[in-house]
Amino acid sequence: MRRYGPLITLLGGLTLAAVLLTLSMTAARKPAEKPAAAAEFGASATETVGATPTTAAPPTTAAPAPLVGPVTYAGKVIGGGATLAIAARDGKAIAYLCDGRKIEAWLQGTAVGGAMSLTGKNGNLTGTYAGGVVTGSITARGKTWTFRLPTVAPPSGLYRATATVRNAKVVAGWIYSNGELVGVMTTNDGDPTAAPALDTSSGTAVIDGQTVYAEQVSGS
Amino acid sequence: MTAPTASAVRWFVPIAVGAAVAVTLGVYGQLHTPTGIAVNLAGFSGPLTVKVWLATVAVLLAFVQLGSALVMFGKVPGIATPSWIGTLHRWSGRVAFLLTVPVAVHCLYAVGFQSFDARVLIHSLLGCLFFGAFTVKMLILPKRGMPGWLLPLVGGVVFTVLVGLWLTSALWFFTTVGVKI
Repeated sequence: MRRYGPLITLLGGLTLAAVLLTLSMTAARKPAEKPAAAAEFGASATETVGATPTTAAPPTTAAPAPLVGPVTYAGKVIGGGATLAIAARDGKAIAYLCDGRKIEAWLQGTAVGGAMSLTGKNGNLTGTYAGGVVTGSITARGKTWTFRLPTVAPPSGLYRATATVRNAKVVAGWIYSNGELVGVMTTNDGDPTAAPALDTSSGTAVIDGQTVYAEQVSGS
Repeated sequence: MTAPTASAVRWFVPIAVGAAVAVTLGVYGQLHTPTGIAVNLAGFSGPLTVKVWLATVAVLLAFVQLGSALVMFGKVPGIATPSWIGTLHRWSGRVAFLLTVPVAVHCLYAVGFQSFDARVLIHSLLGCLFFGAFTVKMLILPKRGMPGWLLPLVGGVVFTVLVGLWLTSALWFFTTVGVKI
C-alpha cells in the first residue's frame, strides 16, 4: 500500500481533473445555447469567468507597439449582465463598466502589444485586442464577466461627467452602444445609482434638477 | 549493466514522464481555445475567488510539507521525529495536490496558457512546471536506492514552484482586487 500510495495520489488527481473537465465542458456548452438563461441564473453552476482572450496571443518577441487610436470598444459583456466601454489612445486605456442600476467601475491602464491591462479602485481588466475586437475579462466588485467588444463610432461610446450638485460631488458615466444608453452615477462616494438619461447630441444630463455636462472619453 | 547506470535510468524515467506532463499541459493550454467558462463552486462570489482560496490553502499546506519534511530528515534541532510525522506529510501533501487540481483545470480550460505580461507568463510556465515536478516526486518516492539529495531537491522544486504560483495569482488578486470570499 505504501509503495503504491504516490501512484494512487497521482491517479486520484488525474481522475478529479477528468471529472472537472467533463463538468466544465458541459458548463461551457450551456451558455452558448442559452445566453439569456445563463444571465438570469448567474449564481448557478455556470458563470462567465477568467481572463479569456480568444484571439491569438499577442507577439512577445517584437517590441510591443502601443494602441495608437483613438478607438473605443463598447457593448454588452457576455451574458448581458452589464455594459462595458474601453476607450484607448496612445497606449493608454480607460474602461467603464456599468449595469445601469447599481454597479459601476472605472479602470485605467495600458493597451500595448495586443494586450490590455487595467486596474481601478473597484476591479481590474485583462484582455487582448486585434482586428477591431477586444476580448478578455473584467472583475468588478467581486464579480467577473467576459467580453468580446467591437469598436464603435460617435455618438456611440463612453461619456463621463463630474459635477457638484447641491454641494454633493457627483461622478456619472454613460455608455451608448447599439442605440442603447446605460448610465450609473455615484454621489459623494456612496452607493452607485442609476444615472438620468444623457442627451448625447448636446452632452447634457439633468441630475437632481441641475444640468451637468458630460465629456466623451476617448482614452487619455 | 553497472549499478550507477541502472540508478541513473531509474530516475531518468520519472523525470522524463514529469517533463512530458509539463509540456503536455503547456501545449494544451496554448492550443485549446479558452472558453471563459468552467464549473464553479457554490458559496463563493466567483470562480476567481474559488481559485484564489483553493490556492491559498494549498500553499499553507505546502508550508506544512516543508516543516514536516525538515522534521523527518532530522533538520530541526531539538525536535525528536514523532511517529505521526510521515502520515502528516503524506496527507497534507495529498490534500494540497488535490486542491490544486480544480484550479489547474479552470486555468487550462477557461483561461489557457497566456503571455500578455510578465506575471501571466511566469504563472503559466510555473503552472505547467508544478504538475511535472509533482509527477516526478510521486514517481521517485517509492523507488529504493536513490541518491539521498534527490527527494529533497525535487520536493524543494515542487514547494518553490507552488509558492511562485501563489505569488503570481492569489497574492496579485488580494492586492489588486482585495481580500474577499
